[in-house]
This record gives sequence, structure tokens and C-alpha cells, in this order.
Amino acid sequence: MKRLLCLLLSLVMIMSLTVGCGKETTEDATSTPQSQDTSSPTPEPEKVVLKLGIWPEPTLTDDIAVHEGYVERFNELYPNVEVVPAHYKYATDTFVPMAEAGNCPTIFETWFTEPQKLIAGEFIADITDNLKARGWDKAMNPSIRELLSKDGRIYGTPRDGYALGIMLNVELFEEAGLVDENGYPLYPKTWDELAETAKKIKDATGQAGLCLLAKDNAGGWHWSNIAWCFGATLTIDNGDGTFTANLNSPEAIAAMNYVKDLKWKYDVLTADPLNEDWGTGFTALGTGTAAMYIAANDAVNQPTQVNGLPLDKLAMCAIPEGPGGQYSLFGGTPYVFANNATYEEIEAALNYLEIMGQAPVASDEAIAGMRAGAQNKVANGVPVIPRFPSWIDQEVLDAEAKIIEEFGNVDTNMYQSYFDATKSDGNLRMEEPGLTQDMYAEITKVLQAVIIDPDADVEALLNKANENYQSLLDQTFKK
Amino acid sequence: MVKANTLNRNNKTKFKRQDLVGWLVMLPSLILFAFFVWEPLLESIRLSLYSAKGIRLQEFVGLENYIRLFRHPDFLAAFRNTFLYIFYSLIIGFMVPIVMAVLISETVHLKSFFRVGVYFPNMVPGMATIMMWSFFFRPGNTGVLNILLSKVGISPQVWLNNPKWTIPLIIITMTWKSAGSTSLIYMAGISRISSELYEAATIDGAGIWQRVRHIIVPSIFSLAKTLLILQIISVFQILYEPLVMTNGGPNNASISLMMLTYNYAFRDFNYPMGAALSVVICAILIVLSGIYTKLTKDKE
Amino acid sequence: MFFKSYSAKKDGAIRSFDLHSFRVKLLIICIVVICAIIAFVCLFPTVWVFLASFKDIREFRREVTIFPSKFDFSVFVKTWNDLKFIKYYINSLIMVVGCVICSVIFNGLIAYVLGILKPKGHQIVTGLVMWSLLIPSTTSIVALFVNVNRLGLSRSFIPIWLSYGANAFIVVLYKQYFERMPADLFEAAKLDGCNVLQVFLKILVPLSTPIISVATIFTITAAWSDFLFPFLILNGTGKETVMIAIFSFRTSNATDVEVLRAILFSIIPPTILFLIFQKQITDGAAAGALKE
Repeated sequence: MKRLLCLLLSLVMIMSLTVGCGKETTEDATSTPQSQDTSSPTPEPEKVVLKLGIWPEPTLTDDIAVHEGYVERFNELYPNVEVVPAHYKYATDTFVPMAEAGNCPTIFETWFTEPQKLIAGEFIADITDNLKARGWDKAMNPSIRELLSKDGRIYGTPRDGYALGIMLNVELFEEAGLVDENGYPLYPKTWDELAETAKKIKDATGQAGLCLLAKDNAGGWHWSNIAWCFGATLTIDNGDGTFTANLNSPEAIAAMNYVKDLKWKYDVLTADPLNEDWGTGFTALGTGTAAMYIAANDAVNQPTQVNGLPLDKLAMCAIPEGPGGQYSLFGGTPYVFANNATYEEIEAALNYLEIMGQAPVASDEAIAGMRAGAQNKVANGVPVIPRFPSWIDQEVLDAEAKIIEEFGNVDTNMYQSYFDATKSDGNLRMEEPGLTQDMYAEITKVLQAVIIDPDADVEALLNKANENYQSLLDQTFKK
Repeated sequence: MVKANTLNRNNKTKFKRQDLVGWLVMLPSLILFAFFVWEPLLESIRLSLYSAKGIRLQEFVGLENYIRLFRHPDFLAAFRNTFLYIFYSLIIGFMVPIVMAVLISETVHLKSFFRVGVYFPNMVPGMATIMMWSFFFRPGNTGVLNILLSKVGISPQVWLNNPKWTIPLIIITMTWKSAGSTSLIYMAGISRISSELYEAATIDGAGIWQRVRHIIVPSIFSLAKTLLILQIISVFQILYEPLVMTNGGPNNASISLMMLTYNYAFRDFNYPMGAALSVVICAILIVLSGIYTKLTKDKE
Repeated sequence: MFFKSYSAKKDGAIRSFDLHSFRVKLLIICIVVICAIIAFVCLFPTVWVFLASFKDIREFRREVTIFPSKFDFSVFVKTWNDLKFIKYYINSLIMVVGCVICSVIFNGLIAYVLGILKPKGHQIVTGLVMWSLLIPSTTSIVALFVNVNRLGLSRSFIPIWLSYGANAFIVVLYKQYFERMPADLFEAAKLDGCNVLQVFLKILVPLSTPIISVATIFTITAAWSDFLFPFLILNGTGKETVMIAIFSFRTSNATDVEVLRAILFSIIPPTILFLIFQKQITDGAAAGALKE
């Protein structure tokens, strides 16, 4: 009997040994590239492979053609680099298996929520040295750099800066008669006006006035912008490395009551906000089941190219003003780099960005890249509108402005209030500090509760959320 | 390979060559079992005691992950909900197949159609079932159940968005899928009852209801006990339903322990916390199985 | 007429001698009606998916009806092509075939050893296998996932195939069947000079075709429906199975009706399997007595 037990135990040990071995080999695999870059200053230029995760997905043939143009130009300039298209659409459930297997593309896009998580897991490369050598670190918009940094090291470059506004489906505005003599939508300027506008649209067309998100963290993300306009500050930075949750201030309660009214007093939301997320919101806006949607300028292809809204039927206005002022949530969509990429591979990726015109460089190549991108947008019915300066290099900004003027395919009046507001001082506001995603999760739960229950006690719910959020903050940030 | 005649030696006391052959034959299977079933249980414990970057363990942190877990606002909700799931599955999911089995056993016409019909949902893949029922529970007037209600003049309901109904409705979905196959097992049990028992009972003056009560129910009682514990164990792992139908909402009304594990590990990349929660789930399951074995032993 | 066949009734509390009473006759009719309702409830959702799949998105979103306005089968062909469904069918097929092979070989071998060879100490393994039946492996999916990644086996079918070689339910099913076989058979084979593996292949497997086919059918449906582990391993690799595909369509740009048609595509293969093998499946489900 004992002997058998021994046999069994040794079997388990063999098993754990094999697992252990596997672990060592994967660690080896990730460490070899790093050892290479210390020994890399060899005389002749080595062959570098650049796996492009930012390659467009197979169905977007026009976008692929644009990138093929980039690659051609790139190969002329950097013949020692082999470019491998490796389209990767970031998703939380696919990322870790790919990264741990060492299959991560050299460069890929991710979401605005992800960089800090990816940095914490050491999944993405520290590119501070590359950026410093090029001087790009200083050219980066400081608040965006903050999003992509940890402990003074930088882990990504911005594709776009974005600021939230309200996207409008002009077709529904027309149907409801909410257009001025020139055919421009009569957009709401305050949150109260937004509720009334939404009501008019609902009454006239039967479609929802506003698509509000309450399925996942994007709900809390949008709501935090509403709350700011009501005067709330949701997380207080104590300056000593700790934070205080402030989700239950009178202003925040007022903002939550406003959402509750949208559902129960005005009844202008889509049928099931609890099933709306970032993507379905654009579907609702694009297919005309909702007239307004909180969204950012970098996603104008979503209602149009993806969901079929005609180019001239999309408008954007500023986030409405509330009793506490008018703010637009500001952030950036980042490019990040595989943690096992060598210095040379990252260099190659940054060079490619330069050719795409996504770098703080106004060279001929970069400008040609920007032009090609704009041309492609025009061909696909995507509005060509200004971006937010993710780089603060004046030459680049001028070049960009010129291209937008040249390729402009929309009536800028449709976007006037949005760009006017976001240019005004103190309008752009970064996301709340602390455990932003956990805060969004807590808020989303409250949103769900007030949307399903006309008798929900907003104050009690926010008190509870505040308590939960504070306990998470206390656990993570200790003095 | 070892020739057969070596197998024929006496097989008393000592560990013989033929035993070795036996172990060798099942070694590949044992490795698979160890890798897929047994080792992960131990690995969960190890993972849960470390901090990690991605899947790379960093340092031993003792019980810190557990402390953080118990303090997390979603943990209590998930813990309570998991027991609510079990509670409702006992009320709805446990009784329905028994009733179905008793009723179908009483039919003669169309019996095989009924058997096949009730088993069919079990063939529909789980993911398809859940997505199908999501359409049924859709709020607004185009949800299927709301269409059906409108035919009898009832106004549209919000179904899963009513936190009081979320868990019972999810349990109904699960019952729809699994009740048929369970009831087939009960039917097999009922068909094993000897005719003489009924005849004897009738002579003693028992009516139909009394025959069900005193003959059928006792005869499937032990079967029911086994199926009960299996049901509790399977409901304990509930994951797909809240993940797909409600994303754990509204306001955490349907988040389950397994879904919290999923969120920790596969949404937040926090594998040690996910593993800590796995260990907690396993511990609860072991306790439940223990209570069950003790209860059934006491009765016998 | 209707009640005549009740004289041959073998199951249940109502016996042929109860039939003289009018109340019993009424009860019998009630029971048949209730059973018909139950069967309807069991079948209706799938039928609805079929009917609603014919609608276009506008009709689906705006019309409050059960039946579609027209039956046009070309919409299925179109969705099939648009969603490139053939790829997912092929992936699922590859996965299912591998799972069945692993399931038969590895579960068969361990059941053979535990049920027939019974080497010293086999009780420990039997105990561990029975115990795995109670503590489901999904609970340790996190650790399993981490292990698979450490071995560098993710993003391939191999771990999924092999996971079906460690199914306690199938092992118990085989073991119970093998234990009922007469021992003389194996003795005779041994005397003929067959080694242990030859006994397995030449004697046991041919004699066990009924149970192997039942286990195979269960493995096929289980593998076809399997979601979590394949999802974690295969998603984003181009090897997505049908289940992973319909899960992703849910949040993609596919419209509601396209999702419905995709759901229908995922139901068709198991339905065909069920129509062909309904007797084996329903009998097997009852005989197993232990559900997965």
C-alpha cells in the first residue's frame, strides 16, 4: 500500500517537474532576445523582423492597400527589415495566451483602459530609451504620456488623442424637425436640453433619444464625464500616494439622479441599456435606433464605415454643460510593443509609424503617409476631421491641419461646437486617478440599479459604491 | 511488450511484474488525468499564495490574495448569489424532472415522442441554449416572451433586468436544457418497479395518488439523492449563463463565484486571485460533499 | 380505442384495472395533454430560432410576430457565406475527431486496467477517478490554463484533444461495462499468447462496440458544445470552433438575425446526430445513471 502511494506521489512529482521544465523553457525564450540586445552592436546590420499587429483586418481591403504602400516605402528606406503582416485585434481573452507563447506582434493597438494593466503584467516593452534617442519623449502630449507611463518609464506611443462629445444621428433629428434653416441639427447645449431634445425625438420618431451604456465599465466611463459637468470630482488624490473615493458627493448624486430621470421621467433610453456596450452604442446610432451617443472623435468610422450611416448624416456636438461646468473626457488610443521585442525591432516599428505619419516628425514620408490615410478615409465614407494633438510638435500639427483642409469631406459646421468646446481652456479633463477601472465597475452597478428600478435610492447606492471603492483603494495604496 | 504467460504467475502480496504492466498500460491516461484534473488542483493552491506578473510567479505572499478576495465588494455578492442559484435550482430544477418522469411514465400513446422531445434540449449546445434564451428574455416588445405575453394582453416585462427574477430565470434556462435527460434516468428507475407492488397496493385499497406517493417516490428516492448532489455541484460552477445573459448584472444580481474567477483571471489577468477563488470554490464543494455523505450515512 | 392500449401498460401507478373509472380516464387525458405541453415547451425555442431566422433585421426588430413574412432559404446561404461559417465547421470537426480518438484510447485503456487487469493499488486510482467526478475540473481552469501556457501548448488543438482523454464519466461508463464481461475470455486469450495490449485490441474493443458507440456519441456532443477551454486556448488563432464563433458574433457587427442563423447552424449537427441515434442516446442517458 505504502509503495503504491509512493508511486502515485512520484507520478505527481514527474508531472509537476514537466510543468516546471516548461516554465523554464518559456522564460528562456523571453530572455534570449534581451540578451541579444546587449550584444547587438555588431558591425553589419542584422536582419530584423517587424511583425505588424496594426495591419488592417482581412476584410478591409482598401486599408490593406494603403499599408502595402507604406511597406513599399519602408522597404526602400530600411532594406534590412522584413515586414510581416500580423493583424491582431486586441482582446483580453486572447492576449495572454498569445503573449506568453511569444507570438505577440512587435507593435499592436490596444484600448485606452489597458496600458496600466499590461505594464503591471510586464506584457509590453519599455520604450523609453528608443523615444529618448529620437527626442519623441518630449514631443508627446504630457497628459497622454502620463497614461502610458509607470515610474517614469514610457511604454507606448499614442495613435490618437480623443475627447468625448455627443455624436448625433442627423436623420433622426431631421425626422423630429430639430434642424435649423440651414439643415444643421439643433443640438442640446445643457444636460436639461439634452433630455428635452431626446424626448422630442422619442415622441416624433419612436426611436431612443440617447444611447446610454450600462453593461460594462464603459458605462462608468461615460457617466464620469456627466458627473464632472454636474460639478463632481470622483476620486481625490491626497498627494501622499493615497486616494479618497468621492462617489457620493451631492454633485455625483445629482448626476446619477439625472440618469435616473432620463429613464423614468423622460424615458428616452434604448430598450435595454444593460445590454449596451461601446460597440452596440455605435450600432444603435448608425442604424438609427438612437439619436445621440456619447463618443469620441477618433471613432467616427464606427457609425459610418462600420454601421452604414451616410457621411453627411453624422454630426458631433460638445458634451453639454451642467451646473458644474462643461468638460470633455480626454484620453488616447495607444500603440504598444511586445515585451520580447529587441531594441532594433522597436526602432523598426517606430520607423514604420513615422512612415504612417503617426509620429512627431514632419518628414516627406510622414506627410505622404498622412495623405494616404486621409485619402483612404474619403474613399470609405469616413469623416476626415481634426485629431487631438497627441504630439506637440508644431510642424506636425501644421502639416496635419493642411491635410485635413485638403481632404475634408464633411461640413465642418456639423462638428463646430465640439471642436470649439474642446479648444477652450480647462475643457479637456483626464480620467479620474486611482483605480479607474474599479471605479467604473462600481458606478456601472449603480447605473444598472437606477435604470431597472424607478424607486432606486440613489444616495444609498452611491454611498455603498463609495464604500466599496474606498476599500479597494485602501487595499492597493498604502501609505 | 511483456508476453502473456508472465501474467499468469500467482498474484498474491508482492508487487509483481504484471502489476507493473498494468500501471504501464494506464500510464498515459494517468498522466492526462494528472495534468488535466489532479495537478491543477494543487497548482491552484500554489498560484494563490504568490503574486504574479501575467502567468509568471513573482514572490510568495502567503494568504494576502485570500484577504483581498474576501474584502472585495463583489465577493460577497457572488458568494450569496451562488447559494441563491443552488436554492432556486433545488426548487425548480430538482422537482421538474421528477414530475416529468412520473407523468411521462403514465402515458402509452406518443410515449417515445415525449421521451425524445424532452431529451432534445440536452442536445442543443450550451452556448446556443443561452443565446437562444437571451432572445426570449429580451425586454421591449420584440422579445419573444413579450410577444407571447402581448397575445394574451399582458404588457412587456423586463425579465432578467428585474433583479428578483434574474436568478430564477437563469435557473429556468438551465432546467429547460437538463431536465429531460434527468427525467429519463428517473423514468428508467420507475420502469424497474415490479407490477406486483402496484397490484398488492391496489388490493390494500391504495388509490393512484397513494401508489405514486408510497411506491414510486420511495423507489426513486436514492436515485434522487445522488442526482441532487450532482446537481448542486454542477450549479456551483455556473458561469456561461451570467457571463452571456447578464454580464453578472443588474447591479451584481447574478454574478457567480465562477464568473468572478473568470473576471479575475481572464479579464484582469490576475491569475493568483483567480486561483485563490478556485481554491475557495473547491473547499466549499468538498465541505458540501462531506455533509452530503454524512447525512446519507446517518439515515441508513 | 384510445384506452385499449393501456392494457399493455407496464410503467407507472395507473394500471389497466383502474380504467373502469371515468375519473381515471379523465386523468389519463389530462396527463397526455400536460406531456404534450411539456414536449412543446422543450421543442418550441429551437423551432422559434428556425422561424425567426427567416426574418430580416428590420422585421425582426420592429414586427411583433412569431412567423416570418416569407420563407426564403437563400438568406441562410448568404449568412453562411458572409460569416465564413465553413471554416468554423471544419475547425469544430477537427476538434471533435481528435477528442473522440483521445477519449476512446485513453479512457478505454485506464478503464481496462481498472476494470480487468486490476494491478496492485488500482483502488487508489479508482478512488481518485471517482473523486474527479465530484470535483469538476472547471473549478481549476485558471491553473490548467496557466500550466498549458507554461508548456507552450496554447493556441493549438492538442491540449483540447488530450483533455478528452481524462474524462472520469467515460472511464466509469467503460469500467462498469468491462467488469460485466466474463473473465474466461481474457484467460483464454492470454493462453493463446496475446499480450495485454493485444487483449485490449482484439478481444475487448470488438466486444465493447455498444458502449464505445454510446461513449463516442456523448463525446461528440460534448466536444461540439465545449466552450470555455477551447475558447481560452483557440480564440484569436484562426482555429475557432463553432461555439467560439457564435460567442464572438454576439458582440460583433453581425445583426441579430445573423446571430440567430449562426445559432441554428450550431444546432444542426447535433440534431442530425440525435435523429439518427435517438434510441442509443436516450437509452444511454438513462443507463449511465450518472450524468456528466
